[in-house]
Amino acid sequence: MASRRSALVVSYAVLALGAVLVVGPFVWELLTSFKTYPDSVRVPPSLLPATWDASGYTRVFELVPLGRQFVNTALMAAGRTVAQLVICSLAAFAFARLEFPGRRFFFGLFLVVLMVPAQLFVIPQFLIVQRLGWLNSMAALIVPGMFSAFGTFMLRQFFAGLPRELDEAAEIDGCGPLRRYWRVLLPLSRPGLLALAVLTLLWSWNDLLWPLIVTTDPESTTLSAGLATLSGQHNVEYPTVMAGALLATAPVIVIFAILQKQIIEGIATTGSKG
Amino acid sequence: MTTTAQPLTRPRGESAPPGGRRSLRRTTEARWGLLMIAPLGLGLAVFYLWPMLQTFYFGFTAWGPFGDSTWTGLDNYLRLLADEKVWAALRNSLAYTGLVLLGVPLALVFAVLLDQRKLRGRGLFRTLYFLPVVTMPSAVALLWQYLYNGDFGLVNQALATVGVAGPSWASDPGTAMFALAAVGVWMGFGYNLVILMAGLQTVPRQLYEAAAIDGAGTVRQFVSVTVPMISPTVFFVSVITIINGLQMFDLVYLMMPPGSPALPATQTVVHLFYQKSFVQNDPGYGAAIAVLLFAVIGLLTVLQFRLQRRWVHRG
Amino acid sequence: MAGRLSCLIAGALVTALAGCGGSGSSDSAGPVEITYGIWDVDQQPALEQVAAAFTKANPGIKIKIQTTGWDDYWAKLKAAATGGVAPDVFWMNGSNIKLYASNGMLLPLTDKRDLSVYPKALVDLYTYEGTTYGLPKDFDTIGLWYNKKLFDAAGVKYPDASWTWADVQSAAKKLTKADGSVYGIAAALNNQAGFYNTIAQAGGYVLSPDGTKSGYDQPATIEGIRFWTDLVKNGVSPTQQQMTDTEPTVMFESGKVAMYYGGSWYAGRFNKNPSTKDTVDVAPLPAGKTKAVVTHGVANVVSAKSAHQEAATKFVDFLGGKEAADIVGKAGSVIPAYSGTQQAWIDAAPQFKLKIFIDQLDVSFPWPGSKNTPAWMDEEMPVLAKAWTGEVTPEQAAATLAATMNSALGAER
Repeated sequence: MASRRSALVVSYAVLALGAVLVVGPFVWELLTSFKTYPDSVRVPPSLLPATWDASGYTRVFELVPLGRQFVNTALMAAGRTVAQLVICSLAAFAFARLEFPGRRFFFGLFLVVLMVPAQLFVIPQFLIVQRLGWLNSMAALIVPGMFSAFGTFMLRQFFAGLPRELDEAAEIDGCGPLRRYWRVLLPLSRPGLLALAVLTLLWSWNDLLWPLIVTTDPESTTLSAGLATLSGQHNVEYPTVMAGALLATAPVIVIFAILQKQIIEGIATTGSKG
Repeated sequence: MTTTAQPLTRPRGESAPPGGRRSLRRTTEARWGLLMIAPLGLGLAVFYLWPMLQTFYFGFTAWGPFGDSTWTGLDNYLRLLADEKVWAALRNSLAYTGLVLLGVPLALVFAVLLDQRKLRGRGLFRTLYFLPVVTMPSAVALLWQYLYNGDFGLVNQALATVGVAGPSWASDPGTAMFALAAVGVWMGFGYNLVILMAGLQTVPRQLYEAAAIDGAGTVRQFVSVTVPMISPTVFFVSVITIINGLQMFDLVYLMMPPGSPALPATQTVVHLFYQKSFVQNDPGYGAAIAVLLFAVIGLLTVLQFRLQRRWVHRG
Repeated sequence: MAGRLSCLIAGALVTALAGCGGSGSSDSAGPVEITYGIWDVDQQPALEQVAAAFTKANPGIKIKIQTTGWDDYWAKLKAAATGGVAPDVFWMNGSNIKLYASNGMLLPLTDKRDLSVYPKALVDLYTYEGTTYGLPKDFDTIGLWYNKKLFDAAGVKYPDASWTWADVQSAAKKLTKADGSVYGIAAALNNQAGFYNTIAQAGGYVLSPDGTKSGYDQPATIEGIRFWTDLVKNGVSPTQQQMTDTEPTVMFESGKVAMYYGGSWYAGRFNKNPSTKDTVDVAPLPAGKTKAVVTHGVANVVSAKSAHQEAATKFVDFLGGKEAADIVGKAGSVIPAYSGTQQAWIDAAPQFKLKIFIDQLDVSFPWPGSKNTPAWMDEEMPVLAKAWTGEVTPEQAAATLAATMNSALGAER
C-alpha cells in the first residue's frame, strides 16, 4: 500500500513538472508583455516587471493593423467552418446513406485528396486565385477552405455509426433523402458536427502558409501572417512582440476554455476509432 | 488509418418496397445522392484535384517572371537530383520528424500516469497540456525565439543558475534542429496525449484485473496488457506525427531569418518549396519539390503500414 | 434554430465577400483612393504627411499607404503585379526596375518633366530603353557609425576620412572587452551595408559589368568577404549566432558594439533614440585598396494595371516634387533626391556629420541588379553565413555562390 501511495506521489511530481514546462513559457510571455524593453533583456532576469508597462499592447497596433487582421481571421475561420459544415455533411450523408452511380468512384477520388500533402495543391491554387483577381480578398482566404475531404470522411464515419433503423423508419413514413438528412441524421450528429467545426475553426485560425501567399497587403491578411511580419522587423522590442502573440492567441484560448471538454473529446474521436 | 471503414455497399433491408416503386425510389435517391455530393465534388475538383494534376504538369515546366511557362521536360527533376540543398532539406525534414517522434513515447508515459484511477486533477492536467495545441504556431515561434535567445533568453538564464553557459539555441547550426524539434514536441504533446488517453480508456479493466490475479506488477501489466492493447492508437499517433513532421514549415519560416547560420541545418522540404515557388519565382522547380515530398510521404506511409503488422496488436 | 443561425452567418458572409472582394470596381465619380506600397515603417509617418498635403491640394484623391516589410516586399509585389492587384503607386529599386519595366508592369511616364532636379545616375537607373518609368524619391549611402562613449573609454581616436581597413581592425581590437560586454564592431552579414562595399573596396565585384557573370570567383571579391569573417574569427565582433538572435543595430544602439556599418537611413532612428542621440556619430567608410560605397535610390512608379492611372501619376509627380522632398528631408530618415532639399535632411540631426553620406556619392557605385535578381541574391545570406561562422572558408563559400549565381544568371536568358 505504501508503495502505491509513493507511486502516486511520483506521478504527481512528474505531471506537475510537465505542467510547468508547458505552462511556464506562457506565463513568461504574459509577464514579458508588461515589461519595458530594457527589463525584458535584463541579465539575470527579473520574474515580475520592474514597472508594469502596458505600452507594448498599444505599440503593437501601430506596427501591425491587428484589429483589421483580427476581423479578417474571424471572418475566414467562420466562413470556412459554416461552409464545411453544410457542404461536407451533405456529401457525407449521401456517401453514408444513399445509393447512386459512381459512389465508390467519387468517394475514392475524394480520399485521394485526403491522402496527398497540401503542398501538391498550393501553387495551382494560388494561380487560380491570382487569375480570378482574388488576391487580398476574403474570397481567397475562404473559398478553397470551404471544401474538405477530411471533414467529409469524418462525418461519413459518424453517420455510418448511427443506427440505420432510425432513418429507415423515416423512409417508410415517406421522408425523402433531404428530410432524412435534415430531420433525422443531422440532429443526432451534433457531437460530430461540433468536432468538425472546432477543428476547422482551429486550423483556419492558425493557418500560416495560405494567408501568407494570397495576401500581399497587411490590411487584408490574417493574424497568423501578421505576426510573422513582427518577427521580420527585428527592431521590434520583445514586450511588444509578446503582447502581439498573446492578443492573437487569446480568442482561441477563450473558446478553448469554454468548450474544452467538447474540443478535447472531438479531437480524441478523430484518432481513437480503431 | 486505423479508422475501421464501414462497408460501402448497403445491405438491402428486407423491407424494401417491391417492383416499380423500388426503381422509382432508386432513381430519386440516385438524383439526390449526386446532387448532395455536387457542391463538394465541384469544389474539390476545382481547388484540389485539378491543381494536383497541374502540379504534376508544372514539374515539367519553367516559368517566366510574370507567369508564362514553357515545357522543359525532365530538367527540373535532373536539377533536383543534383541539388545539394534539396537533399539537405530532405535530411533535415527526416531528422526533425525522427526527433518529434520521440514525443510519442513521452506522451504515452504521461497518458498512463493520467490513467491511474486514484489520480485527481486529471482534467486540469489534460487542459494544461493541451494549451500549446490550440496556440497559433506563429505565436509559439515568436515566444520560443525569445526563450532561446543566447544572451538573455530564459533557457540560458535558467542554465546559468547551474553554471552552464548555453549557446544561441535557435541560431547555432549545432543545436538549432534540437531546439526546433523541442518546440515541435511541445506543440504536439497535448494532441498525442489526448488521443492516447482516449485509447487507454478503451482497454477493458478486466484485463488488468486478470493480470493482477496472475501476480503481474505495475510494470508487467504495462508491458503485457497496456502496450499491446494501445498499439493501434500509438500507430495512429505515429502516422499523424510523421505526416505532420514531414510537412513542417511554420517554425522554420518564423524562427530562421534569411541570414541565420542555422538555416541550412534546419531548412525543411516545405520551406525550400515555399522559397523556390513563391520567393524565387521558380514554381516549376517548386512543383518538382512538391512531387518529391509526395513520394517520400507516400513511401514512408506504405512502409509503416507494412511494419505495423509486426508490432500492432489487432484484437 | 441552428438552421436560422447558419443562414444568418452565411448571409453575413456573402455580404462580407461582396464588400471585401476584388479591387476591380472603379467608379469614375466620387473620391478616388490610391494605394501606395512601401517597405519602411520608419518612413511611414513622413509619407502620411506628404499624402495629407497631396489630398489637401487634390481633394478628390485619397491615399492609402500599404507597408510590407523588406523581407517580403518583392515576393508579395510580384504576386500582386501578376494578379493585377499591385498598389497603384509603389516603391521600386535598382535591382528590380529592369524586370518590371521589361515586362510591361509599369506605366511609362512620358509627359514632359524636368528631370534635371534629380541626380543623373538615379534618373538613368529608372530609364529603360529610353523611357522613364520612375521618379527618384531618395538615395542612400553607407557610413561607419561609431559610439563616441566607447571610443573615449578605450582611448581610441574617432574614425575619419583617412581611415583604412587596418585602422578598423586595430581599433576593433582595442575596443573589445575581454568579458564580452563590448565588441569593437558588429560584422553584420548584410550586402548593402556590408560586404558589397568591402568587395568593391578590395577591387572586386559581385556582378560583372555586362551583367552576365558572377564576380564571386574573383580573388579580390573574396578579400572583401574575408574582411568580415576575420573580424568574427578574431573575436572583435559578436558571432553570427549572436547577431541572428539579436539584430546588430540593436546591439549598437544598446552600446554592446562600438562600430557599425550602417546606411544613411539610420540617421532618423539614431536621432530619435535617447541612448544614441548624443553618443554616436558617423564617418566615411574606411578605404581598402580604394574607396568605394554602395549607393542606392528608391523611385516611385505607377502600376500599368492601376485603375486610376491619371490620379496615380498626379500623386507620383507630387511625390517627386519639392514640397514632398522638403517634408521627407525634415523627417530626417532618408536623403531626398530632389536637388537642393538635402540640407533639410542634414539639419534634422545636426549633431551627426551627415554630410559625409552625400559627399561619398563621388566614390559610389550602384547596387547590382539583373533581370531576376532574387534568384541569386537570396542565396547570398545562407551560403555566406557558413563563412561567417567559420564552418567553411571564404574561398569555399564564394565558390559555392559563384556556381549558384552563374546558373541563375544563365537561366535568365
